[in-house]
Amino acid sequence: MNRNFPFTGIAGHDHVKEALLCALVCDTIHSLLIIGSPGTAKSTLVRSVEALVEGKKVITIPQNITYDRLMGTINLELAMKSGSIEFSPGILSQGNNHILYVDDINRMDEGTLQCILTTSQNGQYVLEREGLSRVIISRFTLLASMDPQEGSLSSTHMDLFDLCVRTDRTCDIQTRAEIINRVLFFEQSPDEFICAYEKETEDLKTLLIKARERFPYVTIPEGHLDLITSLCIELGVEGYRGDLALARTAKALAALNQRDEVIFDDIKRAAILTLEHRRHECQSTSQQQSNSHSRDKERESDKNDRSSENQHDTSGISNYQRETRSGENQKTETFSSSAHEMYFDIGKTFEVIRYLDEESWRATHKQKTGRRSRVISLDSSGHYRSFRFPGGKCRNDIAIAPTLRAAALHQHMRDRNGVVISVKKSDLREKVREKKVAHTILFLLDASGSMGVQRRMVAVKGAIMSLLTDAYLKRDRVGLMIFRGSHADLLLPPTRSPELAAKMLKSIPTGGTTPLVQGLTDAYLLLTRGKYALASENKTIVLLSDGRGNVACTNKSPDAEITEVARKIAGTGVKFIIVDTEVGFPRLGKARILADDLKGSYFRLENLSVQRFADSIKEMTNLMP
Amino acid sequence: MVCEKWLFRKEIMTVGGVTYPFSAIVGQQDMKDALLANIVCPSLGGVLIRGEKGTAKSTTVRAVVDLLPEREVIKGCIFHCGIEDTRSMCDSCRELITQGKKPDSEFIRMRVVELPLCATEDRVAGTLDIEHAITRGLKKFEPGVLAMANGNILYVDEINLLDDHIVDLLLDAAAMGVNFVEREGISYAHPARFLLVGTMNPEEGDLRPQLLDRFGLVVDVNGEKDSKVRSEIIKRRLEFEKDPAAFSVLYEREQEAIRNQIIKAKEIISEIKPDERLIDTAVAISLSLGVDGHRADITLVKAARAFAALDGREEVCKGDVIKAAGLCLPHRMRRRPFDESGFDSAAVHGIIESYYQAS
Repeated sequence: MNRNFPFTGIAGHDHVKEALLCALVCDTIHSLLIIGSPGTAKSTLVRSVEALVEGKKVITIPQNITYDRLMGTINLELAMKSGSIEFSPGILSQGNNHILYVDDINRMDEGTLQCILTTSQNGQYVLEREGLSRVIISRFTLLASMDPQEGSLSSTHMDLFDLCVRTDRTCDIQTRAEIINRVLFFEQSPDEFICAYEKETEDLKTLLIKARERFPYVTIPEGHLDLITSLCIELGVEGYRGDLALARTAKALAALNQRDEVIFDDIKRAAILTLEHRRHECQSTSQQQSNSHSRDKERESDKNDRSSENQHDTSGISNYQRETRSGENQKTETFSSSAHEMYFDIGKTFEVIRYLDEESWRATHKQKTGRRSRVISLDSSGHYRSFRFPGGKCRNDIAIAPTLRAAALHQHMRDRNGVVISVKKSDLREKVREKKVAHTILFLLDASGSMGVQRRMVAVKGAIMSLLTDAYLKRDRVGLMIFRGSHADLLLPPTRSPELAAKMLKSIPTGGTTPLVQGLTDAYLLLTRGKYALASENKTIVLLSDGRGNVACTNKSPDAEITEVARKIAGTGVKFIIVDTEVGFPRLGKARILADDLKGSYFRLENLSVQRFADSIKEMTNLMP
Repeated sequence: MVCEKWLFRKEIMTVGGVTYPFSAIVGQQDMKDALLANIVCPSLGGVLIRGEKGTAKSTTVRAVVDLLPEREVIKGCIFHCGIEDTRSMCDSCRELITQGKKPDSEFIRMRVVELPLCATEDRVAGTLDIEHAITRGLKKFEPGVLAMANGNILYVDEINLLDDHIVDLLLDAAAMGVNFVEREGISYAHPARFLLVGTMNPEEGDLRPQLLDRFGLVVDVNGEKDSKVRSEIIKRRLEFEKDPAAFSVLYEREQEAIRNQIIKAKEIISEIKPDERLIDTAVAISLSLGVDGHRADITLVKAARAFAALDGREEVCKGDVIKAAGLCLPHRMRRRPFDESGFDSAAVHGIIESYYQAS
């Protein structure tokens, strides 16, 4: 007997239940994502579904699954011993006609995620791995859950989910009390609890069967179909997956309500389930509008800029020092200076020196492939380089030719049992694979007023552009975060498309105070929590700043706070590179101190350029006798 | 020696055993034209389809399966060497021909061979056949996806996410039309001429410039913004899901028409001699855009011819050149990363206009 918490016994979460039922009614609703904080009954809901459909199991895909377990592989050890090639199916093919469940999907490796999601959409996958070649049918309903605090999924992956619901925090005291009562009752005597809900469960099962039968005959009136599509256009939904999911869900809702025609209310409810996670594209278009708006402003400010430039040149530093001293007036300063936002052009670009200390990267498994450095991979992905004796556990990644060669020497002494070559365990050699490791580089840019001094920002933008070009050539992932005024903004989450970053660079405003601590903390947390923590082990924060932070998060002095935070996060897995942008006189050298606290590498902006670096070396050698 | 058992991987890319009909796809004319032009003239070098998620990119590519023409190949050759094309034959077929023998031929349908993202290197290039090595003690080559793709369409979904080492294999094979295998004690070469078709969503990252340059045509697709048209798309898809077989019957006549269009175009394309005006136009455009390589000019001429052939004409007209220019030039413009100089379509149209004024 099924011992899961019964579906009908779960209090609240009506949206989620509705979505789950829709997915059970309609086979073309392939996937459902449940977003919610920990402890909001996400997995309980998913597991309870099993009791509602005859003959379907809920199979959990573990977080750290490898390709061979996911898609199936040859049992190589058996193949070597008996000579026959056998396919041992993976979870995806075992899940055919069942329900697959992935918890914390936002922390999953991207390749695996891509594979699961496209399989759920296509109902099949092509296996071309390790001597196996076949198309495998796999139709399943994918249920996934995630905690939004652990990071988000890319919009492409979000779009592959037909439905997406949030488990809300239950604020109603009575419902919360009811939940506690039920859970306690269930824990004490599960059988009794399940029996108490037996009747409701049976009714729901009958309803589901009827709805499944009715579903193909449910029609959408012409006008309502137009409503669906115009709704999607209005919300800026990209592609037709949203429209299709909405139409299917509306039909499923009608079927569940025992109607043969979709009514307006179905569409309204279905829209909440299907479009909410797709509509953020809309915001990005409005952002673009504001970008173009800011570009207009930029032109205006360009004029202002030129007129105020001279003034800045002379009074820039004193201006800035005043700003640093005025601790109490910070708030008003922020406002007044953000009113004088400036937009600087991108300065000259140059070829970048090898600023990442590449030799020191350690080999770790599950690394993204990139081109900066090569490591020995610990899983069975990457380029087959050489072979070795398997140490301890056999990874089923056997190097065939060396194994055969090793076995060949002993053939005349062995009982071959009908096969031509008898292979013993001692002959087995496993593959050593190598792959290129990608780096995640987060550019953390100080966009405060001090960067506007002497149009410093022009040179800095030029430097970032050069670093981006370098990252582009080396297939790194890059992200861009700026801090100014009172907070830090993530302009671009780490992506493989540095082009996006380059496009944004131009419209970065300059002005305001320097919340260095805030920026540093946000950047650090981004790379150490959630999906970027797992995605790639080589993480670097390139901080471009003069190190003169002047906004504190606590009541300590900004400088003391910076030191404290820097020492805390130094040497904990993220590398820091500090590019000092300080100009003028006197130099405070705060960036240098920060670099030491962070145990990071320190460069002056000028020295990043290969040409300039070479020039400065030449200069030094020339000076020597 | 070559092992044959894997070469016949069944391709099923359908709902309930039926592919969504090509002719039932609403709009997306550029994407359809580019695919058809490549089928008519495989030396065009493939298509890359870029666009937002969920805009029927892969549905369209997969729908092509049902339209592909037959080709005459040497009977029994596992690489399906074309009977006409003596230059790109596998070793055993070439030997037959040079010995003056006349091998039997058969007609087989072109296929769409899909390369999954997580394919391993050994399956792409081919490797030692383990079963044979163990049971018989003989070295035998087991062909990979590149062998299957010979003479067919090689399709990579989300091609921008393909691992670099697999991309290297594709590039090597595409450049020479031959796949050289040197691994695990196997040394082998076989023809691998395929039509590369890729789809991608640029949001997820860029394609390597070398790979981008391999594609003859690049199409950018966008979602439909008109709600009436969009409703039609959704309606057809839902109807298809309800009863795929019945839906396909409705479009069978149109499908047959496209099949005939392809067959006819393949017949007349060799009749279309690239005239001086076409070649001059192509050269003038390339020079004015400052494109370095010659691939742009050549592709432009070939594509214009293919479009004329698809239209059943034996003469290339202005419309063909304009269409061809829009599909083969824009992606070759960018020479540096982040170069936003873009494609000046007005200037190109101006040049075409000046050459084709008379007609």
